[in-house]
Amino acid sequence: MSLPISPLSRPSEPAPSRRDIVVGTGVGLGLAALPSSALAATLPALPELIARLTEGAVPERGRITLEIPALVENGNSVDARIVVESPMTEADHVRWIHLIAEKNPFLDMARFHLGPRSGRAEVATTLRLATSQKVTAVAALSTGGYLMSDVDVVVTLSACIDGG
Amino acid sequence: MRLKLALGFLMAMVGAVAGGEEITSGSAFLSPELRHQQDDPTRNPAWFWVEQGQELFSRKPEAGQACSQCHAELEKSLRGAATRYPQVDAASGRLLNLEGRIEQCRVQRQKQPAFGYESGELLALTTYVASLSRGLAMDVETSGPAQPFYEAGKAFFERRQGQLNLSCKQCHGGLVGQKLRGDTISHGAGTGYPAYRLEWNGVGSLHRRLRACSLGVRATQFDYGAPEYLALELYLAGRAGGLPIETPAMRR
Amino acid sequence: MAFNARISMPAEARAGDIIEIRVLTRHPMDRGGQSDGKGGTVPRKILNRLTATYAGEAIFRLDMYTGVSANPFVSFTTRAVETGDIVFEWREDGGAVYTRAARLTVT
Repeated sequence: MSLPISPLSRPSEPAPSRRDIVVGTGVGLGLAALPSSALAATLPALPELIARLTEGAVPERGRITLEIPALVENGNSVDARIVVESPMTEADHVRWIHLIAEKNPFLDMARFHLGPRSGRAEVATTLRLATSQKVTAVAALSTGGYLMSDVDVVVTLSACIDGG
Repeated sequence: MRLKLALGFLMAMVGAVAGGEEITSGSAFLSPELRHQQDDPTRNPAWFWVEQGQELFSRKPEAGQACSQCHAELEKSLRGAATRYPQVDAASGRLLNLEGRIEQCRVQRQKQPAFGYESGELLALTTYVASLSRGLAMDVETSGPAQPFYEAGKAFFERRQGQLNLSCKQCHGGLVGQKLRGDTISHGAGTGYPAYRLEWNGVGSLHRRLRACSLGVRATQFDYGAPEYLALELYLAGRAGGLPIETPAMRR
Repeated sequence: MAFNARISMPAEARAGDIIEIRVLTRHPMDRGGQSDGKGGTVPRKILNRLTATYAGEAIFRLDMYTGVSANPFVSFTTRAVETGDIVFEWREDGGAVYTRAARLTVT
């Protein structure tokens, strides 16, 4: 059940020192001066994020359904349900299902670990989406393969924001 | 057109009439998904606040009595209470909402320090007490000693204010059902509060919601429990007369 | 009251039946990084793991990151094998652990 997690998803570090902030600001300004393509290149693309989970294998599409509303009223709580077609036997079952949000500050959202005693590969949770983006579900099978599904989600902007 | 028909249907179901204007609950403006979540106790997180309130209600302070020692038979004593707030306190002549009455009870009768508006404890207790009136129709007194407060609330609702120079009524009277960014404009009925707002990731009071409205039109934000919001709360409650209490509701 | 949980599942099932377990949790799932008003940032404080154990082994585990909402809802399934407690354990950043149990009677 070991889990290769993006360095971006690690728990936050202790508060930076003043020196770190000054140095960091310099780096930030440097980045801001780069063309946007160069900046984008510093973030891994979705296929790389997936390859990181699948040890390089390219997941198949199909036999996995990611149910998530295409239009979301508030990104603070978004229903997501994932169903994988699997007999869920000792020999052939879903080992885990991993959810990625490519434009969240932390890309990994959750990983469900399942097994033969799950009976079905059917899970749900509530997610936090920072902005409109593609949400991807990757499932690892006990037989060695991987499945994936993705959905483009539009997060609408609320007019009634809270000012306390 | 379809939206209008759907709204018309909902209004027919839960419509209340105030001065010829039909008012519908905020639930009528939720997406089907959020409405479903609200109505499912296994999904609506606001029930945690009800549970916490229930626990506080029966907790005995170090000195003094627990709420439950006086309000023993809830069915008789507090079921329906929330439908009658805000109301004028006979002794002081002040307008009290449910939060104010609970704080008054705590300070004057239980001899405990006030929780403070929007504290976790007062929110939980208010949510619990309001939930005891779930399904009962709002029925506040708007005449007699309440009349000046009601009139002040109505005037507040109709007065243009803030840098956007908007009155509450312009949107929540004239533009109901239309879109404001991702939101759908409701009638501004407060019958679900305290409510769990996705925006807050938690339960908040009606006054917290009103403060967000004030901010939205770039107007003065009054304090929690301020006379302006109390009067407005009474007007909104009178206007929503006949609508069932839905606490703990979910809102965007 | 930072933590609470509401577990919804059938109280009884026949051996071999697959039951759905729904778990609603009260937790702010504070993603951290916001200013603390004193020049620093608020540390992350989320429930980072939920484990369900039943009839001798972990039947489900959810690793959670900051992309899981405040007051999260989770549902999953398990096959009823024997009468016993399903034990839920949450692990919070900083090391706190919360547990709840729900009884399943298998006929």
